[in-house]
Amino acid sequence: MTTPVLEIRDLSVSYHTDRGLLRALRNINIQIHPGRIIGIVGESGCGKSTLISTIIRLLAPNAQIEGGSILFRRNDLLGLDPAAMRALRGNEISMVFQDPMTSLNPVMTIGRQMTDIQYRDNRSKAEKLARAASLLERVGIADPADQLSRYPHHLSGGMRQRVAIAMALMTEPALLIADEPTTALDATLEVQIIHRLQQLQQDFGCAILFISHHLGVIAELCDEVVVMYAGEVVESGTTRDVFLKPRHPYTRRLLECDPARIEQATRNLPVIAGNLPDLANLPGGCVFRPRCDESIDICTRERPPLDGVDHCTACHVTGQ
Amino acid sequence: MSELLKVRDLRVRYPVAGGMASMLDRNRRSYVDVVHGVSLDIERGETLAIVGESGSGKTTLALALCGLAPVLDGEVRFDGAVLPKGNDSYLRPDRRRVSLMFQDPVGSLSPRMTVRRLLGEPFRIHSELSDDPDRSALELLSLVGLSTDFADRYPHQLSGGQARRVCLARALAQKPDLLIADEPTAGLDVSIQGEVLNLLSEIQQELGLGIMIITHNLNIVRHVAEQMAIMYLGRFLEQGLSELVFQQPRHPYTAALLAANPSTNPDAKAMRIDLSGEVPSLLQRPPGCEFHNRCPRVQAECRESFPARESSNGKQAWNCFHALP
Repeated sequence: MTTPVLEIRDLSVSYHTDRGLLRALRNINIQIHPGRIIGIVGESGCGKSTLISTIIRLLAPNAQIEGGSILFRRNDLLGLDPAAMRALRGNEISMVFQDPMTSLNPVMTIGRQMTDIQYRDNRSKAEKLARAASLLERVGIADPADQLSRYPHHLSGGMRQRVAIAMALMTEPALLIADEPTTALDATLEVQIIHRLQQLQQDFGCAILFISHHLGVIAELCDEVVVMYAGEVVESGTTRDVFLKPRHPYTRRLLECDPARIEQATRNLPVIAGNLPDLANLPGGCVFRPRCDESIDICTRERPPLDGVDHCTACHVTGQ
Repeated sequence: MSELLKVRDLRVRYPVAGGMASMLDRNRRSYVDVVHGVSLDIERGETLAIVGESGSGKTTLALALCGLAPVLDGEVRFDGAVLPKGNDSYLRPDRRRVSLMFQDPVGSLSPRMTVRRLLGEPFRIHSELSDDPDRSALELLSLVGLSTDFADRYPHQLSGGQARRVCLARALAQKPDLLIADEPTAGLDVSIQGEVLNLLSEIQQELGLGIMIITHNLNIVRHVAEQMAIMYLGRFLEQGLSELVFQQPRHPYTAALLAANPSTNPDAKAMRIDLSGEVPSLLQRPPGCEFHNRCPRVQAECRESFPARESSNGKQAWNCFHALP
């Protein structure tokens, strides 16, 4: 097996709040190998955003890293000084955000923004513009040279998101982090972006960490899936294993709730009863136990470890 | 069932902010038609889903129906009465009867008011609805399935799903006949999405509301809406009974949209319809059918004129010269 591009080991992050220590991430283990697309699925509050912010080291001031390491090409990102981290960010690790309208500057042309981010390169302006145009072409934008003089509001939502992707790929990063990049688009454009990402991933050979709560998009795009719940990884494995043979009760319930899977039209959609546990005051044992209908005695006492070789599950009942 | 809302050929036009020249010279002002001739019917107790991507005019249509967007043309009949055109006066006496659940639940609740005050406010404005705003607020809270503990919380202390429930309670306070829900499940997780939609259905049955749901999530439409309309650049390209539209889409855009819907089965090799080209800008509305530059079935006439409406026995209608069989 190759060395992972990114290896998250036993990562725990907490926030200091008025209500006490909010344990947002607890003992997270994730490996991302070169050229793979990893999807993270989880509901709001499961720690997806904290995880990304920790990887790019842009955590809120009240956050505290409790332990663990994030190895990027064998270097621990958590030990880097701010200058070294800044050199990595947007260069070897880059990001595509959820809403391209707010991540692009509305008062600057696309061309200006795309040349500005090449500030590290010692090239002429004309060369930088040509490079910007060639990237726009690679993300499938027609008349790339003309688009450079336009402003973000001139472009449609799908085009803006592709501009954001072009900008993220400009430096040929080893890892691209995409945070729900298709949320604002309709299904036709969503699929267009997904296929474009797959194509670009092959061209650039980067690994992609793709975050979404749209299960269909994850199933379509990703090689591997990590399912998170309330700050923990509850299941991980190949997309086929997780979606076709889900083991953890949470994953199963989540898939059952997806209205796309329910053949017969119904006015009574399934839900997962109960609420997320309070992260400032966690129940003992398994985090999903209060909402789980398969729990046994041990679930209240002991936290299940993430077990397995390729398909891992953190469950006393259904794990191996 | 009785008819509640009947809209014919509704147009909404916004002026485009231009330079100094356009401020001085009327003839140089430019406009953008965000809703471009939309017709729809909603009956009591029925749900219509409007599907379309961001920027297709869904929210503007909703705002226009509440009298919050400038209506240029068209006829709106609400419960039999024709409503006057214009911006502000439009709908005012009847505004109470149409309520809107805004897209961003936390953003539409005042951060400085408790849930109790938020829910009591509509009763203070429409004093004819209740003698005791406080008691009515608590009744609403239980109607949407929240315990009275929530009454003294502030919006930031609510989760996404709870905030949606409060918004729904607020929208129901004025005892509307028509509820417009703008993306009621956007940003919600699948497990909570079901709760909000089930609640909407329950309340609809209880109160006999007409509901218009705006969404870009096709998966939920099939379950919650009897009728659906596919919106693209301000027009309905296809509309009709959801069951029929899902079974046999006639407009190529609808077909592409349904085929594109990603499935959670990684083995399902979906029959995709490839669309090339970009979504045109509303500022430069293309001649002919707006979809022609992306349409796989495009012919010469599509670039010249907008196709007339065709329908199959009034249950499904579409605008396309080369509709799918």
